[in-house]
This record gives sequence, C-alpha cells and structure tokens, in this order.
Amino acid sequence: MSLMEEIITAVDEMPPFPQVVQRAMRALAEPDYEVAGLVDILKVDQSITANILKLCNSAYFGLPRKVSSLKEAVVYLGANQLRQLLLSGAASKIYEKPSSGYTVFADELWRHALATAVMAQVLRQHLRFKIDENTLFTAALLHDVGKVVLSAFVIDKYRAIEQLVETGESSFQEAERQTLGFDHAEIGGKIAEKWEFPDAIITAISFHHEPARAAKEFRLLTEIVALANSLTVMVGYGTGVDGLACRGHDLLLKKLKIEARDLEKLVLLFQLEMVKTCEDAGVDGG
Amino acid sequence: MSLVTVGIADLKVSKDPGDTLVTYSLGSCIGLAIYDPVVKVGGLLHYMLPDSSINKDKAAKNPAMFANKGIPLLFKECYSLGADKKRMIIKVAGGSQIMDDAGTFNIGKRNYAILRKMFWKNNVMIDNEDIGGNCNRTMYMEIGDGKINLKISKKGMVEL
Repeated sequence: MSLMEEIITAVDEMPPFPQVVQRAMRALAEPDYEVAGLVDILKVDQSITANILKLCNSAYFGLPRKVSSLKEAVVYLGANQLRQLLLSGAASKIYEKPSSGYTVFADELWRHALATAVMAQVLRQHLRFKIDENTLFTAALLHDVGKVVLSAFVIDKYRAIEQLVETGESSFQEAERQTLGFDHAEIGGKIAEKWEFPDAIITAISFHHEPARAAKEFRLLTEIVALANSLTVMVGYGTGVDGLACRGHDLLLKKLKIEARDLEKLVLLFQLEMVKTCEDAGVDGG
Repeated sequence: MSLVTVGIADLKVSKDPGDTLVTYSLGSCIGLAIYDPVVKVGGLLHYMLPDSSINKDKAAKNPAMFANKGIPLLFKECYSLGADKKRMIIKVAGGSQIMDDAGTFNIGKRNYAILRKMFWKNNVMIDNEDIGGNCNRTMYMEIGDGKINLKISKKGMVEL
C-alpha cells in the first residue's frame, strides 16, 4: 500500500465527528429552531449537558442565580455561544488525541486551532467581512485536523521535512508536500469530506496555505482562515514543531486592505479575546 | 523548587533562589530577562507589541503586553525587591518572523527595535541575545544564579 493509500485508510478509520454536535448544528441552522427539540438532541450526551451548564454558571456570565436546567441554559446562551461551545468541545477531543510525530508538543495543536478560530473571528468583526460567523469558526477551528492523522505516519519522514524547513527556503507545508507528495491541508480536507461538512469548510481547510487555489465562492472564507493561521503562528501560537515556517501572504493583506498598523491592533484584540476564550474552554495559556 | 509561568503579555519577578521563571511560545513576541547577581533578584517579561499608543485604555489594564509599558515596569518591580540598575544582566530572546518576503508581518522586528531604542536612551546594555529567524522559543530563568536557557524549535536546549 502506498503512503497515500495508508493515510486514506486512516482517514476512513477516524472516529466520526460527534453525531450529537452535528445534529445540534443542523437544528441551529434552521432560522426558527425550537428550543425543546434542541434540548432533546443535547440531553442524550451527559458531558455536553454538563459543559453547557458549567459555561452558563461560570463567573464570565455572572448570573445572579444558579441555572440547573438544560433548557434554561440553552435559552440563556443563545445560538452562537452554543455553537461555539459544541464545536470547541468536539474539536478539542479530536486534536488532543495522544499521538506522536507532529504532536510532540503537548496541547500545542489544540491551542493553535483555538487561537486561529479566535483570530478569524477578530478579523471578521474588526474588518467587517461579510461572512457567516459559524462557518468561519468551524473552518478555522478544524483547519489543521489533517495533522492529527498525518502525525502517525510522518515519524520516519519527519527528519527529512525538518531538514527542508531548516534551509529557510520551504515552509512547513511545502516541505511536507516535497517529502510526502501531499500535505496536512489536503488530508484535512479529506477528513472534512468524510465528516460531510459543507463545501465551504472543506475548501477552507484544504487550501488554508494556498488561498488563491480556493473556488471563487469560498475564497474570502479561505483567505481569512489563511491569514488567521499566519497571524497566530507569528505571535507564537504555533504547533511547536514547525516553528514560524509559515508563509505570510503579503498580497492577501493588500487585497483585504489591512495596513501594517492594523496588524498590531488585531494582535491586541486577539490576545484579549483569547484570554477570555481560554478561560471558558478551560485551556491553559491565554 | 518551583516553576513559575510567565504568560503571554505578562511579567513575573522573584528573589526566591528555588524559582525558575519560564515563558513559552515566543514567536514575534520578546522575552526580556533581567537579573541582579548580587541580591539574586530576577524578572522575566513576555511582551507582544511595541507601542501602547494603539489603544491607551487597554494598555493601562495590560501594561506587560507592550514594550513601552512593560519594560519600565519590569525594572521597577525588580528595584522594589532590591535590584540595582548598574548591576543588571540583560538577556533578550524572540522577535521571530514568519516567511514573508515583503516584510509586512514584521511585528517581531518592531518589537526588537523599540527595545534597542529604549535601552540606548537609558544607557542599558544587552549582555546576550537570540533574536529573529523563524523559530519558536521557550525561555527559562534560574533565580538562584541568573542562568538563562532557551528551548528553540528544531535546535533544542541552549544556554544564553
């Protein structure tokens, strides 16, 4: 079996994206979703229920009394907060799968994913990009999911990838492609396909290092994910092993009309938001 | 013996010889370590951005986020533990860049430039530094002897 075939098999064997989360997302996508129906979907999963109540009762919301019913909590949090909680919960389990290869720096993959999702939201809000918030959040959160699968296969090729990166000529993703014949973005796209995510998300994950290759209708989404990725890597929320060997996409800044001075403001807004998000998600290192 | 984490946009000072201060994931950010070997007082700052004028309100609440606010604060806090400016050993790490031919994503460079400028104005000399490139650094400071170790992506552990 070729390496690519082995990896395709590994993608097929990957656990499905949690059904409860997928069903809840579909229900929430309806403009007039019913709270009772949503509660029915969520209540079968105890850990999700516990997390919803925990977030609702956290100091961040500062409610005057304790909320103990799932229905009340769902109403209180609202659709957007609920979507983000469900997605982050599911994604964190996928990224934190103990593994070797890329994930030698414990937790870094997940912290980077969360940081990219936060950065993407900051870019969207601050620069007023007209793009669906939840599609963007999901794509940014899952953009590196390919690394989870790939990491089990790169152990013996890893040194070769590293050496190419050390020359300073290749980005990490380019080195993967030269060494393996494909890269983590491509594999991530295949995982998203297997999970039956919409085309927009599959595209953004597949091309987050090469946004110019994205289909036109999904290009802006892909560009924001690409830029959010570059910026979080720049600041240091990287994946550890690849260091800062990531392309910056200067042209993207011009195209999106982002000035050098804006970058500093965006980093500031990002950091403040990241600290808040890490507190909510119980992640260390905001 | 305890490991004290200095978060992103954060600073810590100590005079407990058993402490190791550590800051993780320095990309474009800068880690500044200052140490007085006579009184064995040290401090570590992890700042993200050069200049707080981009948002004065936020700067007031998060001084360690910015070079222009965080650096003076780091020195002041070490002085309050008995450190003396004349004896300070100064070490700097970070200021990396992603791959960007046009140099637009140059916050790392700007973070370093403002530090040089502030030190020049105040007659402060850097004793050692490891700046730039496209690696990720973790910085450790031993309060007992002021030793600084860096864990650099792709290189491993080195003493600064």
